[in-house]
Amino acid sequence: MFGKGLIKGLQITWREMLAQKVTVQYPDEQIPLPDRYHGRFELDADKCIACMLCANACPNKVIQIERTRVGKKQYLTKYVMRIEYCMFCGLCVESCNQDALRFSKVFNMNQYFRSRVRLTLADRPAPAEEPAEEAGSEQEAKKKAPAPKKPAGAGSEAAAGKS
Amino acid sequence: MAIQTQTYFLNLGPQHPSTHGVFRVILELDGEVVVRAIPVPGYLHRGVEKLAEARTYTQVIPYTDRLDYLANMLMNWGYVEAVEKLMGIEVPERAQYIRVIVGELSRIASHLMAIGSYAGDIGGLTGFLYTFRDRERILDLFEMLTGSRMTVSYFRIGGVADDLPEGFIPLLQKFLADLPGLCDEYDGLITGNEIFQARTKFVGVIPPEKAINYSLSGPNLRGSGVNFDLRKNRPYGIYDRFDFEVPLGKNGDCFDRFVCRMKEMRQSARIIQQALDGLPEGPIQAKVPKVIKPPVGEAYTEIESSKGIFGCYVVSDGSNKPYRVHFRRPSFINLGCLAELCVGWKIADVIAILGSLDIVLGEVDC
Repeated sequence: MFGKGLIKGLQITWREMLAQKVTVQYPDEQIPLPDRYHGRFELDADKCIACMLCANACPNKVIQIERTRVGKKQYLTKYVMRIEYCMFCGLCVESCNQDALRFSKVFNMNQYFRSRVRLTLADRPAPAEEPAEEAGSEQEAKKKAPAPKKPAGAGSEAAAGKS
Repeated sequence: MAIQTQTYFLNLGPQHPSTHGVFRVILELDGEVVVRAIPVPGYLHRGVEKLAEARTYTQVIPYTDRLDYLANMLMNWGYVEAVEKLMGIEVPERAQYIRVIVGELSRIASHLMAIGSYAGDIGGLTGFLYTFRDRERILDLFEMLTGSRMTVSYFRIGGVADDLPEGFIPLLQKFLADLPGLCDEYDGLITGNEIFQARTKFVGVIPPEKAINYSLSGPNLRGSGVNFDLRKNRPYGIYDRFDFEVPLGKNGDCFDRFVCRMKEMRQSARIIQQALDGLPEGPIQAKVPKVIKPPVGEAYTEIESSKGIFGCYVVSDGSNKPYRVHFRRPSFINLGCLAELCVGWKIADVIAILGSLDIVLGEVDC
């Protein structure tokens, strides 16, 4: 009979009308994100040994690292991600042996200006002390290190929250 | 034809929703009837093959996601398979099984998109919403597994990036249990619809010989009744261990191509179920040197992607970057017959024919 298929289709749509909704009201409700979610990057600057593995693993040369030699070790002074070129493939996080670079679950990274997109994960002065005082200065650096980092992170977070 | 009128040109696309991306067809029309169709691809060309020459072997993988972004796992697979052949790497069992599981999931996701958007092309946007609702479940699984929904970058040379996370298998089992019911729903909603059938049956018929001559592959070829599926005819990976059927069409029209995809989804679910049952424990990554430097030489491999035969050709000069990478993209080659298929049909049928070929512009333009 012609029209049988149409009636069957209508039955399905009617059934669906009474079914549970699959969407959520986004800003108020959010779907929980899985642990492996590729969100904004997080860097534990104290764990980072500035080995450049992540920068070399990146297909798009997103990661720019500045480092200086303090005593025998490399010391990370600046860690900038040109996030506008990032593909979020995760090769950098995978390459990190020190578990310093991680993904967070922050996904709203949009900004009003292109200049603000760039992600500065660490920006700190190198301890200028001699190797003899290295231990002490490193402690000091550890205290100081998060200080310049936090405003950058908090700033972009606030901006992301607004938008 | 009683009255001969002057023909005129109509631009279909590049920005037109029914061209599935940025694709342009210049139609020469006599009234409403197509006299000549000139497809113009290239609007989404990003030069992935050239980009690959400046990347290391592992760094190419994220770019392959962006070829056929609807069947991203299969694109990953095609590339790593070629590099593995070049290097002679034996992939561990568990990785092989995981590859089959995610590859077939990707195929289902791609076909869901194909049938949904096809229903939308024909004029029933409702069908699109249903398939999208269920495709979302696959994307959620991918997100859980890889952290990304579409640009997964999950395959690695010699294995896969990560093991299956906790809670993945129960969710997948639930999806597999639901899938036959969902397919019945699409059948009731789209396939059984008389208007849909009237629009697609005996439209854009490709006879089997012509399909072979045009080098069609995938559901477009099988819709014409040619039984050729790489997974059966030339099994790669571990496909020879699974029991599944290759659905075939009879007439080679738009409807048959559509139905082939519907049936393939059920078969893919069967394969995934078998792979889940046989999933062994063990490593997911073969022992591969940190810096991948394949020996000088070249390798070409083919896999059955959701659109057809996806081939990858890699040439190595012994350095850590490929000398040349070439992708045989099934969408691009399937598109070759469009110009001939459209002739004699009306404008609305051009949309139906183009939709039934199921192209993805990311892959066509590469």
